[in-house]
Amino acid sequence: MMARPAQGVESDATVPMPLRFGDDTLLWAAWLYYEEGLTQGEIAEKMGLSRASVNTYLADARTRGIVNIEIAPDRFRELSIAQALKDHFNLQDCLVIPTDGDGRPLIARLGAAGAQVLKSFVRPGDTIAVTWGRSVLALAEALDHPGLADVRVVQATGGTTARIPWTPEACASRLAEALKARCIPLSAPAIVSSREVRELLLREPVLAEQMAILAEANRIVMGISSLRPESTIHTSGFLDGIDQHSHYDSAVGSIVGRFISARGQPVLGPLTERTIGLDLEMLQRIPQRIAVAGGIDKIAAILAALRAKHVNVLVTDTATGRGILNAEGWTEPLRRSHPEPVLPALSRSHAKKLINAPQDAVDECLGGALLAHEALIAPVPGTTRAVMAAAGPRTGKVAIVIGGGSGHEPGFWGFVGRGLADAAAVGNIFAAPPPGPILAASRAVSGGAGLLYIYGNFSGDVMNFEMAAEMAEAEGLRVRQIVTIDDIASSPLESRASRRGVAGNIFAFKIAGAAADRMLPLEICEALARRAANRTYTMGLALEPARLLDTRRPSFELGPDDMEIGVGVHGEPGVVRRKLASADDCADLLLDRILAEMKPVHGDRVAVLVNSLGGTPAMELYILHRRVRQRLKAHGLVVHKSLVGPYYTSLDMEGVSLSLLHLDDELASLLDHPCHAPAVTVLER
Amino acid sequence: MVPLTADHITDLFRVIAARLMEARTELGVLDGVIGDADHGNSMAEGFAAIVRASSDAAMRGAPAGDLFPVAAQSFLSAVGATTGPLYASAFLRAGKLYTGRIEIAPEAIPSLIPAFADGIRERGKAQPGDKTMLDVWAPAARAVQQAEARGLDPIACLDEAVNAAEDGREATRAMVASVGRAARLGERTLGHVDPGAASATIIIAALRDAMRRRERAVR
Repeated sequence: MMARPAQGVESDATVPMPLRFGDDTLLWAAWLYYEEGLTQGEIAEKMGLSRASVNTYLADARTRGIVNIEIAPDRFRELSIAQALKDHFNLQDCLVIPTDGDGRPLIARLGAAGAQVLKSFVRPGDTIAVTWGRSVLALAEALDHPGLADVRVVQATGGTTARIPWTPEACASRLAEALKARCIPLSAPAIVSSREVRELLLREPVLAEQMAILAEANRIVMGISSLRPESTIHTSGFLDGIDQHSHYDSAVGSIVGRFISARGQPVLGPLTERTIGLDLEMLQRIPQRIAVAGGIDKIAAILAALRAKHVNVLVTDTATGRGILNAEGWTEPLRRSHPEPVLPALSRSHAKKLINAPQDAVDECLGGALLAHEALIAPVPGTTRAVMAAAGPRTGKVAIVIGGGSGHEPGFWGFVGRGLADAAAVGNIFAAPPPGPILAASRAVSGGAGLLYIYGNFSGDVMNFEMAAEMAEAEGLRVRQIVTIDDIASSPLESRASRRGVAGNIFAFKIAGAAADRMLPLEICEALARRAANRTYTMGLALEPARLLDTRRPSFELGPDDMEIGVGVHGEPGVVRRKLASADDCADLLLDRILAEMKPVHGDRVAVLVNSLGGTPAMELYILHRRVRQRLKAHGLVVHKSLVGPYYTSLDMEGVSLSLLHLDDELASLLDHPCHAPAVTVLER
Repeated sequence: MVPLTADHITDLFRVIAARLMEARTELGVLDGVIGDADHGNSMAEGFAAIVRASSDAAMRGAPAGDLFPVAAQSFLSAVGATTGPLYASAFLRAGKLYTGRIEIAPEAIPSLIPAFADGIRERGKAQPGDKTMLDVWAPAARAVQQAEARGLDPIACLDEAVNAAEDGREATRAMVASVGRAARLGERTLGHVDPGAASATIIIAALRDAMRRRERAVR
């Protein structure tokens, strides 16, 4: 620990160093001077130092790089979040640690921070209550203390299942050991089988004595549990045999084994009178209530505990702290040293659109498309929201039915025609089609060999296509479904199944359409289309959001110098926001991520789609395509086919997506198979 | 209390539809932050379709209890999207409460809310805390059941539901979306009210207000 200066002997006038500075006195001095604007004299008084020392500190802070022109932004963030949490919830103190740390898991680092906090507060004669959980055990394990006189550590609840290592007993005994303190257990289970058993047990002299000591606690160290399925409250067996839905629906978290609502009020249920240990009223009587908790899944629970003041010292991490504050409407302050220019109102805020009534746009667009391509597509009888190939169904051929929301023109009707999809159902703007038109299309194009539905992974599309499939099957049609997941930006590889399906869909449509046109059976068509879908990788970026028809306003906001990476084709915002880069840098950014997942080897063949999201013109697409081809060549890959243009748009969103299909011989041959549809034509060789 | 005929049920739907129409833009803005901005349109169009279909059915002499499957079908056809199957399932589940009834007693109206919650939970497979409309429907349903157990009158039961719904809606601010389109945004969804939770609250409050107005009128 950095030695505090000798002249800084604490007097009543001296404020103890706030927790959020850890034990870094220099950081505290620098903060007071540069962020709070105190004079060196005021700082000297506040810190209990001489003015000369403050002067030296500030100089040191500069040379040590704590203060250069800006305080390291991450540290600034931790400090400002800690300060805001302390002010907003009227806490005694607050410590915020970086979410991304030195490689150790967050729980371990939270535990270490909690240990530091406890160490700064603990005094001889203390009675410290302790709950259980991962963070609490990590705290106990991280604590290293020479020991103080007459300290008692008491379990705040009875015991839990032995299935977990962070039981109340383990947490209390480890903490007692670290403090060289006496450990007082609660000799009973935390949850007993009935209210009567609890009352009987509490009358036992041993337990009554232990409970009396618990009531004398002057500090408590506790965790906060969410009620998510993976939370401690579930794994520790607390809810075994209890239906959470029927009893604890209104609870958002749990502390000391008690359930709390979003406002921190107790939520009563079957466990309330069967729990042995501290209750929320007793908790409120403990003067210092230290909670150690972090992780964005816990935000709702921590917020609830803070609102009801169950906690008055909080140890958490930046992402969690920021989340809690955001939920309370707080926004991160701008740095004093970096005044952000005030931006002018978005120039594209109100769009001009060539439409009649917004609610007629989908039907009128479809009407115009049918007339423009009447040799290729025709309306599906019985619905205004589906089109089919003009050639009609072919006996013995698998029928490919695709679909999704409108606003992606020429998706989806543009991919209907010989050698491609047999029918497409469309919904409202950016909204999945209902089962009705999907079912009508299925009936209209069924050739007796089964149907293959292909659509992107959006909850609306999944639910509606599944309902349509159930209805079609009830009518005796055979249906297989492929849910595409090509958008690699939308979720990490571990949760690949939750990715969106976007522009890369058209490779799946093309392969499926070719397989069906070759009269292959349903299972084979399905397997080939699935292989194509699984070998397709897409990533997109937006320069401007789409503007909706009825409001003519952007669907999300993007600053004048920003681009959004990983945007969804439905106008959803993306996953990361960056400063706008050059075309080549953008192409590299998209391609690098795609190649990292695709892992092609030298000489492999790929198909490329450079797709406009609607507002980006051909010139920019070709500039990007040029760079993509340069890079693919340098990587030793052969481009079998390139598609460049607006294939799968998002109204007038400015931006592009890049899709690569990793080909093999069979897929390459199917890609070359002739097709004739409004948006894609491949000629007979 | 005077029972509700098919026309009265249509009136309830009409009040809900009007409130959703008013909130259309606001819901779209909420959805734009974390979704695709279509939620206001979907809900407004869907309930407008329900009003059209149920007033037609009422005019043809359909029993009050049969308007719910009609509502399910018309909402689904008009909307699709994610809300279509969810609210269609909700209306189908609610319809089971009243199958074939010519009139519905006001005391039976609050039960709509638990039925909606069940239908939505089963179709959408979301959990409480996932930052979805279920974070409003589930606590509102529970509030109704508790209020009914305490023997409160229908309006008081609906008042409890509205309070629970408002709390549930606010609670979604502190949640990280883990289901649906917003799930891909993870942490970025923090601080924002879920649009589905917002529209669910509007529906529940509209139902309460419509019932309250009716009770005053028939008293």
